[in-house]
Amino acid sequence: MSIPVSRTDAVTRILFEAFGKGEVRLFYAIGYAAIAVFIYGAYAQVRKYRRGAALKLDGGLWKRLGDMLSAVLSHRTIDRRDRAAGGAHRLIFYGFMLLFAGTATITLEYDILEPLFGIRFWYGEFYLVFSLVLDVAGVALIAGLLYMMYRRGWMRLPKLDYARPDRVPGDPDFNRPQYRREDWAFLWILLIIGVTGYVLEAARLVWLQDRADIWDTRWWSPVGAAMADGLRALGLSAHAGGVLRHGLWWFHGLIALALIALIPFTKVKHIFTAAASLMVRDPLAAQRLPRVPESQVEAGAAKITDFNWKQLLNLDACTKCGRCHEACPARAVGAPLSPRDVILSLREFAKATLESGVVPEAAELDIHGKGPGQVAMETLWSCRTCMACVEICPVAVEHVPIIVQMRRKLVEDGAMDPLLTKTLQTIHKTGNSFGESKRKRGSWSKALPFPVKDARKEPVDVLWFVGDYASFDPRNQKVSQLFATLLREAGVDFGILYDGESNAGNDVRRVGEEGLYEVLATANVNALASASFKSIVTTDPHSFNTIRNEYPDFGGKYEIQHYTTLLKQSFAEGRLRVTNPLKYRVTFHDPCHLGRFNKGYEAPRELLALLGCELVEMGRCRANSFCCGAGGGRIWVPDPVGAEKPAQNRIKEAAAIPGLEVYVVSCPKDLTMFEDAVKTTGNEGKFVVKELIELVREATVARNVEAVSA
Amino acid sequence: MKILVAVKQVAALDEDFEIRADGRDVEADFLIRDLNEWDDFSLEEAVKIKEAATEPVEVVAVSVGPEEVDESLRKCLAKGADRAVRIWDAAIEGSDSIAIARVLAGAARREAPDLLFAGVQSSDQSYASTGIAVAGLLGWPHAAVVSALSYSPGAKTAVLRRELEGGLLHEIEIQCPAVLTIQLGINTPRYASLRSIKQAAAKPIEVLSLADVGLNAGDVGEAGSLSRVRRMYIPERGRAQLIEGDAAAQAARLAEIIREFKGASV
Amino acid sequence: MSGILVIAEQRRGELRPISLELVGAAIGLKRPGEEVAVAILSDSPDRLVAPLSVAGVDEIVTVKTAAPEFDPDVFESAVGALIAARAPDIVLAAHSVDSFGYAAALAARLGLGFATDVFNVQRIDGELVATRGGYGQKVNVEVDFPGRATVLLCVRGNVFKAPEQSASPRVTPFEAPPVESRSKGREFIELSAGDDVDMTAAEFILTIGRGIGEESKVPQFRELADAVGATLGCSRPIADAGWLPKSRQVGQSGKTASACKLYIAMGVSGAIQHLAGMKHVGTIVAVNTDAEASIFGVAKYGIVGDIFEVADELRKLF
Repeated sequence: MSIPVSRTDAVTRILFEAFGKGEVRLFYAIGYAAIAVFIYGAYAQVRKYRRGAALKLDGGLWKRLGDMLSAVLSHRTIDRRDRAAGGAHRLIFYGFMLLFAGTATITLEYDILEPLFGIRFWYGEFYLVFSLVLDVAGVALIAGLLYMMYRRGWMRLPKLDYARPDRVPGDPDFNRPQYRREDWAFLWILLIIGVTGYVLEAARLVWLQDRADIWDTRWWSPVGAAMADGLRALGLSAHAGGVLRHGLWWFHGLIALALIALIPFTKVKHIFTAAASLMVRDPLAAQRLPRVPESQVEAGAAKITDFNWKQLLNLDACTKCGRCHEACPARAVGAPLSPRDVILSLREFAKATLESGVVPEAAELDIHGKGPGQVAMETLWSCRTCMACVEICPVAVEHVPIIVQMRRKLVEDGAMDPLLTKTLQTIHKTGNSFGESKRKRGSWSKALPFPVKDARKEPVDVLWFVGDYASFDPRNQKVSQLFATLLREAGVDFGILYDGESNAGNDVRRVGEEGLYEVLATANVNALASASFKSIVTTDPHSFNTIRNEYPDFGGKYEIQHYTTLLKQSFAEGRLRVTNPLKYRVTFHDPCHLGRFNKGYEAPRELLALLGCELVEMGRCRANSFCCGAGGGRIWVPDPVGAEKPAQNRIKEAAAIPGLEVYVVSCPKDLTMFEDAVKTTGNEGKFVVKELIELVREATVARNVEAVSA
Repeated sequence: MKILVAVKQVAALDEDFEIRADGRDVEADFLIRDLNEWDDFSLEEAVKIKEAATEPVEVVAVSVGPEEVDESLRKCLAKGADRAVRIWDAAIEGSDSIAIARVLAGAARREAPDLLFAGVQSSDQSYASTGIAVAGLLGWPHAAVVSALSYSPGAKTAVLRRELEGGLLHEIEIQCPAVLTIQLGINTPRYASLRSIKQAAAKPIEVLSLADVGLNAGDVGEAGSLSRVRRMYIPERGRAQLIEGDAAAQAARLAEIIREFKGASV
Repeated sequence: MSGILVIAEQRRGELRPISLELVGAAIGLKRPGEEVAVAILSDSPDRLVAPLSVAGVDEIVTVKTAAPEFDPDVFESAVGALIAARAPDIVLAAHSVDSFGYAAALAARLGLGFATDVFNVQRIDGELVATRGGYGQKVNVEVDFPGRATVLLCVRGNVFKAPEQSASPRVTPFEAPPVESRSKGREFIELSAGDDVDMTAAEFILTIGRGIGEESKVPQFRELADAVGATLGCSRPIADAGWLPKSRQVGQSGKTASACKLYIAMGVSGAIQHLAGMKHVGTIVAVNTDAEASIFGVAKYGIVGDIFEVADELRKLF
């Protein structure tokens, strides 16, 4: 211990001042005990993750670390769709980090550098600036905490409502009061630690008011100093201050140590799990689903241990922020699915089964069902795989692959709607979901006044992968015909695969029928291999996603674009010209698989601007676009009678735009779903749904041709 | 205990099909093959009995046909059959349902099952004969168009319901072993995921010759059939008078027809 | 000998109408000097002599059986004995559930010429030629029976015309050999549980089929049926899926819509088993998106279009 020196340039805080040796030893003992508990807890958590399946991460460790630090330090993921929470959390985070760093710094000198090497630095100017920084940090921390308390207690945010759609009253885990208790306990403990820290500081100042170096420099700890003045004004004597300080010191210390010990057992662990989760994120998690290894007998996740360690880590990273719950289109229309509650259920399940010394029997690890911690079939089948959840999660939880892996098990068991079974059988038999003969796939092109090249027979520049809906659905066939016309006008040398093309498989894969997906992907890759082309264009975002992101895993790597970029290019190069500017007031619906999945937000908007349309954005646009409800195989399964459909919810949002004339889509499923929704929401006659291709055609038709046909 | 399930890979016609040059069948190019719809139900019924039994029950799928039939047998294996057997010989070409039944009866004698299931009929040729012909050749008790079955493995009898015309069911008790032809709707067939079908490829399919089932060429093919195809042709379709126009116009004409009918019946 | 033997069908003491249709078919095949005999198997066959006494029948052969109802072993044995005793050229049976239970076994054992679901029979150059359907009724197939002395044909219902005039054929009892039956009839069960609808009495039926897609669409059509004054019926897949009670199923296995005069089929493709139940109806209107659906070959009027749009428009008019 150092001898107190009564000089301002050597001013410091004497640790354990006036404590008996026994007291100090007791404190260290408790400290070590707390750390030991922490280490054990951390070990149990890591052991839990390691009980999951193996996984190899790609990408360098340093890059991942760098990305994670960038995300964490900037807090950009927490800012999204809740700037206030982002701001408050920054205050808490930086406040806490600084205070922690402060303690670490002190420990560094006191326990390591000084005793071992005789090095001291925590005194004088450094000490004073240090004190100021920490005081400010404490204010930030407390301010952040107070806002969070207000947010949870008074703001009644829907996303913080723990009511869950996947359980009914009477189910054992319908109510989760422990969540709320833990939320408040965490806030209060931190607040108490923060506040007692200041009171402790103030009490010490009162106690040592007779030491000039300390008392004269007290305003370097402004909050403590103000409080000290206040305490003195209330009549606190130096002696009483000492007693108060002594008591508070232990109180504050014990609570802090308790918090440290409890980290691995409570939501406080998100400090580590969230960072780790961000570090192991896969930016293509929902766009490129994992293959089932040949050697694996059972496809899909049946037991909690079928998930890999990263997924088990994801479960622990969740901070119950509710952004995914808020973004989910299925949840929004009352389906029994909340991505948040899938993750939390599985988390509780992992906690109950994988945290003890011995892993239970396989039968007790079954995650499917309606018991506590399990996920029901209806929940899994409600998912549209739109990735709104994955996209918005601040801690990089990857919900969609978890859901799809569980669906794979349901498919193996045949546990699905009979209509879905039928559709899968139809796709297997005919290569399309319409049950039409393969030979009819290119029949839509017969109505055109010019022949469409068969890319299997002659080389083309651009191979157009048409897709099921654009080939067989009458409404979408018209759009295909218009696009062919546009391509021809733009002088693009293009062709299609005719009956060499099968359903691209994007939705089959997301339903969980991985075997059928492999059949389709392999068939398409083979068909593409037999054709000669430079690049692929597609009018179908689902096909776009799977060919671009997933076909490389099956030996098919191509240059592929969605039609919006090709058309944009055509205009830019002057091969298409706007001869008939459209003055419509429009809104644009970002298709999930083009926008959120593949960041294709700009090209459609640039096209609309080129066409002269007035674009009014909906509230939920771009990355927050609200899924039409057709994804994840849901277009093949009936919606529950009477419930609102996601497409209806979306159209109502559009209908709120005054003077809206055209609701613009650029996906065949969107066209189908929204035209239906316009009728069923009573908006027929108010505005129309149009494919962007239809608008482009309208705008590029030569005026004299128009006059003739009028 | 063993249940033998006779299955057929049927052929559906593709768009714009053509009749073969000899006029007795359709060009093979236009045939799309798949497992007979009825067989999904009979296989499922067998697997259900197996799963509910306390003693081991073996479900064996058997079919007559060339190598391409293996695909359908693999589907049966994926759906819960334990083994699959296929019988083929070039001489079997041109067999009618009775000649096929002869081959199946040979397989049944070899396998000695406790129950033999077949579908009521096939979706392509709809003879509705093969299963019961096997029963006749084996001399076994038989019942056709079974829409409900109650059987415990090893029991001497089974109780079943025949689905008669006009929404009537006939409940009977039949001695076992027996041949039963199974009707659609008796159960809900399970889905066989493609992965499970692929994995079923690991289970072997036993291929037998005519000699293996105790027959010779004269027992099958045209020689062993009770009928012979002379000619296959595309019939003149009686055509409905098509009501043209958009949905509103069509509905209007339909409403007229309804009102006319109602007026006439008043 | 020769001649044509018809195997009549009875159920619960009543003669099934197809029996007389078989007589109609037999008459068409009769050569000069040939006789048409009709065999009736029942525990009291004499009661069914009167309905079988129609023009064209030369002889009614009564076979008294122990049990009142169909039994495969009894029928196989008795019909086999009849064939052995009388050596007919042609035996006509119904293509029916009862026939499914024994005809193929009998043909296989006796080596008879055999064809089922026959809807046309003729002689070409002295050869008997039967026509049946193939590949899901998309083609017609002519079959013959070279070298077969006796041919057993199971004939499709609702094709041949039953003779209307009555006559007085001679009645001959036939003693069938005793047979040990290996199955025992227990009871008949009516599928009328459901909503007390009597399809057999309905004159105007609106039927929905697989084309409606999902169960949630059923109420729309129920409402439409109510609005236009029709009884709602359905095809087999709908009843099997449980979307409507079995009592509403129209088709071979469903209730025979015998009183139906106007039949609107929406989203029904026209599988033969369904058509068998309603071919007799005077006016059939089919609505289907598939212009190639078999039902358009049977219907009087056809609407190729979206059934939901047509349903919507029709609803507006009532």
